[in-house]
Amino acid sequence: MVVLQPDRFLSELTSMYERSTEKGSVWVTMKRSSLKAKAQLQKMEKKGKEIEYRCLIRASDGKKSISTSVSLKEYAKFQASYATVLKAHMHALKKRERKDRKKAADAEKVPETAPKKQKKKSSKKSSGSKS
Amino acid sequence: MVYVDSWDEFVERSVQLFRADPSATRYVVKYRHCEGKLVLKVTDDRECLKFKTDQAQDAKKMEKLNNIFFALMTRGPDADISEVSGKEQAEQQQSKKGRGRRQ
Repeated sequence: MVVLQPDRFLSELTSMYERSTEKGSVWVTMKRSSLKAKAQLQKMEKKGKEIEYRCLIRASDGKKSISTSVSLKEYAKFQASYATVLKAHMHALKKRERKDRKKAADAEKVPETAPKKQKKKSSKKSSGSKS
Repeated sequence: MVYVDSWDEFVERSVQLFRADPSATRYVVKYRHCEGKLVLKVTDDRECLKFKTDQAQDAKKMEKLNNIFFALMTRGPDADISEVSGKEQAEQQQSKKGRGRRQ
């Protein structure tokens, strides 16, 4: 498990998502942790010290594991960049059917109303007529 | 292991699970691009909640759950998540209205 800075972690996570497009999965785990050993925690508790918790984030593609952690101060920024990475890579999920139907309907209408503007479609048409 | 079908129930139960044992509960997002599948899991190794989807709209919901868990895990289990989930509730109400219209 390699511990990285949040920014490095996100770029590594990005390449993990890119590597696993054809096959494989990516796991991202979030956990609340103090990053301290149990014994040390118990000591701190006895002394009444306040324990600082962080959010530990780990990612794996089954071969390689990376991790990072964010504190209370850092998490808002990380959360935003993490969401951007996810949005950019989770595009294999299905869009809502209703939208698809609309798009299909639009695609049918467009060549009828403006066939000259749609060069690609007109070329498809011509090739279709040839065959 | 239980697959929860309802998203709202999944969020509610996973937050409950986390609050019951904050330092033992983890939240896992598994994404499989080739099959276009997304599985969310929340577990404390005694109870395990899962939510499975292939819908892009659920990715948006997941983003909100991410925000909830980031807040809970850094600020602590007593953190007020209404700020994060408040938006969600508002949107849920909107979507409920939308559903009504469609029917």
